[in-house]
Amino acid sequence: MKKFEELTIGDTLGPLDLLVTKEQCRTYAKVSGFGEVAGRFTDEEAAKKEGLPGIILPGNMSLGLLSKLVTDWIGTSDARLIRMGTTYRVPVQPDHRLVLNGFLTNTNPSDRTAEIDVWMENEEGERLVTGTATVEFPK
Amino acid sequence: MVDFDPAIIKKVFENTDPVEVKPEQIARFCASLGENNPLFTDGEAAKEGPYGGIVAPPSFAVTFRNGRHFFEHIPRFGRRGFDAGKDVEFVAPIHPGDKISLHSHVKEIYEKTGRTGTMVFVVIRSTLKNQKDQVVAHIDHRFMNRP
Repeated sequence: MKKFEELTIGDTLGPLDLLVTKEQCRTYAKVSGFGEVAGRFTDEEAAKKEGLPGIILPGNMSLGLLSKLVTDWIGTSDARLIRMGTTYRVPVQPDHRLVLNGFLTNTNPSDRTAEIDVWMENEEGERLVTGTATVEFPK
Repeated sequence: MVDFDPAIIKKVFENTDPVEVKPEQIARFCASLGENNPLFTDGEAAKEGPYGGIVAPPSFAVTFRNGRHFFEHIPRFGRRGFDAGKDVEFVAPIHPGDKISLHSHVKEIYEKTGRTGTMVFVVIRSTLKNQKDQVVAHIDHRFMNRP
């Protein structure tokens, strides 16, 4: 990973090309305690009864995947993801191709942090989830 | 304007008992996200890393919702609400064996009118603490309701 001094606005993260399976979605929902709360994340029929096309990913799972985009970028270095904000714009369906991207928008030398725009899009390039992340570099 | 009792703002409605973080829980969480960063998945490699051992990926913090109990306390303004987004501040890493408690209050309620009509947003602020009473994360859950 680059050092803080080497960062340039416009640096990119990803793309991270993913196919999240229904089974992954169910596992995430169960680990997160969603399994008993909302069938829309685990059960095809329950999701359809809610007017959805089928199982969807929990919003938190999208946040988790976008966080992974950032922690993949950090790797095993001493930098740390200290903030992540997400907006869920469109339900995310498993078994569809997802592409995650990031774009460095600002650096703050006073606290050695970097601001990053992150987003998840589908095969059609539609942005399903957008967000911002802050990474802190060692002093 | 949306009608609610202002006394509910900032009132802590939830203080959970501590829940121990099991290593296998972190492993299952990592598997569900396809996580392969050695800091989160490889005990030997993680020893050489900045935390001296495996820690949970930062977003593990959002799994401490106390399930159904959490949803019972979210004010709803309409027939159906859904998760509109999150703002998470990751203050400190979560280690296997940590005992995490959750403290939640209603941070804010506001109305917004967009192309699709009026929406009421309820923001729940949850603070996670470990067994040393250290804050590990602040999470703002933003729920959208249609009146």
